[in-house]
Amino acid sequence: MKDRTRRYGSRVRDVFLLSALLLLAGAHDIAAQPAPGKESPEEVCKACHQEPFNTYSSSKHGTKADLRAPANRGGCLVCHGEGALEHAKKGGGRGVGGVVNPGSKTVSADTKNGICLTCHQGDTARLHWQASVHAGRDVACTSCHQVHTSHDKVRDKLTQPQVCFACHKEQRVQINKPYRHPILEGKVSCADCHNVHGNNPKQMVRGSVVETCYQCHMEKRGPFLHNHQPVTEDCTICHQPHGTTIANLLKSRPPFLCQDCHASSGHPVQLAGPPTGRTTSTSALGTVGRGCLNCHTNIHGSNSTQNSATSGRFRR
Amino acid sequence: MSKKTKPTFKLTALAAALLAVYGHAIGAENPESPVSGSVSVGVGNWSNDRAQQGIYDGMRESGTYGLFDADLLKRDDTTGTRLGLKARNLGLDNREIGLDWMRQGNIGASLEYSRIPRDQAFIYNTGVQGIGTTTLLVPTPSIVPGSGSNVELGTARDRITAKFFKKLGEGLNFNASFRNETKDGTRPWGRGGAPEFAVEPIDSTIRIFDAMLNYSREGLQLSGGYYGTQYDNANSMVTTSLTNGTNPFFLSLPLSNQSHELFLNGGYNFTPTARGTLKASYSRATQNEALGNFGGTASPLAPASLDGKLDTTLLEAGVTAKPTPKLSIVGNLRYRDFADKTPVQGVVFTGTTPTVYNTPFSYTNTIGKLEATYRLPEAFNLLGGMEYNAQDRQVPSVGTLWVPFRASLDETTYRLQLRRSMSETVNGSLAYLHSTRDGASYTPASNPAGEPLQQAINPLNIADRTRDKWRAMVDWSPADKLSFQFALEDAKDDYGGPNAYGLQEGTGRLYSVDGSYQFNSTWQIHAWFTRDENKANEITQNSATVTKFNDLSEVGDSFGLGVTGKISSKLKVGAKAEQFRSVNKYNQSIVGGTLPATQVPTPDITNTLLRFNLFADVPVQKNADVRINLIHEKWSTDDWSWTMFPASGPTPWAYGTTTDGTTVTANPKQNSTFVGIRYIYRFQ
Repeated sequence: MKDRTRRYGSRVRDVFLLSALLLLAGAHDIAAQPAPGKESPEEVCKACHQEPFNTYSSSKHGTKADLRAPANRGGCLVCHGEGALEHAKKGGGRGVGGVVNPGSKTVSADTKNGICLTCHQGDTARLHWQASVHAGRDVACTSCHQVHTSHDKVRDKLTQPQVCFACHKEQRVQINKPYRHPILEGKVSCADCHNVHGNNPKQMVRGSVVETCYQCHMEKRGPFLHNHQPVTEDCTICHQPHGTTIANLLKSRPPFLCQDCHASSGHPVQLAGPPTGRTTSTSALGTVGRGCLNCHTNIHGSNSTQNSATSGRFRR
Repeated sequence: MSKKTKPTFKLTALAAALLAVYGHAIGAENPESPVSGSVSVGVGNWSNDRAQQGIYDGMRESGTYGLFDADLLKRDDTTGTRLGLKARNLGLDNREIGLDWMRQGNIGASLEYSRIPRDQAFIYNTGVQGIGTTTLLVPTPSIVPGSGSNVELGTARDRITAKFFKKLGEGLNFNASFRNETKDGTRPWGRGGAPEFAVEPIDSTIRIFDAMLNYSREGLQLSGGYYGTQYDNANSMVTTSLTNGTNPFFLSLPLSNQSHELFLNGGYNFTPTARGTLKASYSRATQNEALGNFGGTASPLAPASLDGKLDTTLLEAGVTAKPTPKLSIVGNLRYRDFADKTPVQGVVFTGTTPTVYNTPFSYTNTIGKLEATYRLPEAFNLLGGMEYNAQDRQVPSVGTLWVPFRASLDETTYRLQLRRSMSETVNGSLAYLHSTRDGASYTPASNPAGEPLQQAINPLNIADRTRDKWRAMVDWSPADKLSFQFALEDAKDDYGGPNAYGLQEGTGRLYSVDGSYQFNSTWQIHAWFTRDENKANEITQNSATVTKFNDLSEVGDSFGLGVTGKISSKLKVGAKAEQFRSVNKYNQSIVGGTLPATQVPTPDITNTLLRFNLFADVPVQKNADVRINLIHEKWSTDDWSWTMFPASGPTPWAYGTTTDGTTVTANPKQNSTFVGIRYIYRFQ
């Protein structure tokens, strides 16, 4: 069709497009199913939007063998609306005819998301989208996802963080700190921990922070004989998972961090400061090396049954 | 008609600009081609070791590396069959490869392998023997620090993931996945009983399996199934002693555990604008491995196993509605009960009297949330919300309390946001959050009974807290080709409670600006700057008469600048520079005393990473390019964590005095340059 429109000029093309779309408009529920020999919506749109058409037709959306796909439910009209008919009728142009452009910022997030949720609500990760923080802040599917591409950046672990950093500036810095997860290398992505389509606390993929962390750090789950209370409650009490300047993603350096909870006569209340020499004094070891963890090495929990009064202090 | 689909929503535009500058080339789409994608083969060389930046990327050492990536998709549009192959970093230690097959809308399966190395950035010079095993010997007498063997520690995770889906009927689908992840290697540890070096041997496996049925029709969606996990640790204990056989210490390791969960999620659209949702799950995690008697040091009365049981129940119901075209409401009730049903048993005994018990902890959270958004004129929206979180916390009834406990916490959060999100030129938001947390009176710590310092602190995670947080974001597009994004955050936590000591105040600020400009259809530039500031004020005691005031801060200044374009119609080039710099300060004021002569005040720490990246894509055929990469990294730190400060000047700190002698060092300045060349063949 493209060759023909080029050959006979834009007016002929417009008449042809209009005829095709009017036919489609009259077909009601099966508007997407052209009569034999007639143009489908895709073919009409393709005439002017070749590049988006190419990505669409080679994508899952354009797969006609899948009865659920837009290709079998109205083609381009599924997402761009029946206004596309008027759009074509009037010769096209930005915003002409009431065609819905989900990429436009003048279209509300609710409208954009409603289009996608027509088909994608049922996925378990998106069942609670409407109650999510993102939905409540007018974030649209198209804010993060690119539909007309063979490579949606947000669905690739390597490139996904750059999409998230469009809003989450602090995390852009944190993942470059000395102690971090392998996010830059594409081994851990934001979506490994966060279900941005859900409404769990902190948008975790699991029901809580600890359950999310256990996916990779299951040894921390225990239960241990001697549990360290904050470990069982929330890893982020002590850790900043996006990256820190303290070893092991700690939010603060021992002994400062430990002394936010622990104080008792003797070495737990020691003054901070690296030593002037080698020492075995517990009152001078809380800052150097691993700090308090030099001795309290099993800080996440211990299974020691040693018959010692100090067995519960995570040293064994 | 416009032939371009203009990406107009601001976040998308900014993300696209970022990715255009930092992303990699993807071949043009050809819907007629049954095979699409690309394969690249190349070689690269790092000029110097890069222990810090190479922790995870498999290129820690200087030298030459093979570069091999592939991303291929074969389509059969007639049957809807898609066969995908993705391979990344096949020439490196962090390699991954995946195969994905599906008959779209009917059945599909995938199999993926991924390795995640983690090489410690430090060199451990040690005389400890048996590293990597469960029997360690620590030198006695101490080695001369620095005279031991250099040991590199690290782990590797090998992950295999298999997924499967099958359509069972109209709107009914079955999904299952299985992940097997082995983790092997070593991790720096401590001897526990003495400040001496030890190494944890790691040989464990994580398995996760889930299977679910999804049902989705017009207004009703249901998803239910099973989620099971298993952790297997090949080791349960490490024995350490001095090389003369004395001072044995027995270090416990995490034991194998498992969990089983049943869940049901659902949503129902009552009307086109009203939706109800439901979540329900119940899980049980257990751990009942043999505890052992740790070299005969356990009491005969100690339990042989824990019989650990963790039951988690989650119930949640919510509703979202638009009662009027201008008003949206979100309401949610959530109940989560984490019940540690592990029986409490004596572990340590004096005679037959238990003195130390195991320590199960349970929590129950009940959260109610209500949020409303009202659409104002001129594309403004006003959001108001409130959340109430009531938490019941278990206070152990037997054994030792090392810190004060609270039986309950209550936190109320209010949110207010004004935003504009549908303008062509200026969008943004101004948000304010205020929350208060308090709780039950403290149950005092009990070791030793009456210890005044222990009772005088408000533990970080249960202290009273008032939080105030502001966040402003503005997206401004003064012209089609020019856009800016500004972000400003200010957060302040005030801690308190019945006690005088502990964390007093925490503040966080963020200032960030991004800008991008598209010179023409081929050249664009993106630049950004971010300052992040985090501060904490603590007051803690050193004794009944000596008090410490700690002002801790970290200030980071980071920027990035990137440009991409085409020098000719075929030659694509790009460059970016990024710097991340942070300064940590540890100011400790001591009132009523002085720092002992055996310690020095904590110095500041500055970390700086500067990274340049240049690339050029040179076409050599219609469907093939040669890509040249040039990367220069410059990392520097004056982190003193493993340093001691005698009068003669800083020197690596060594474990022990008469024993051990292990030192931990790293090159404080790591500069390295990478030159890579690869041939990229595109299937079109």
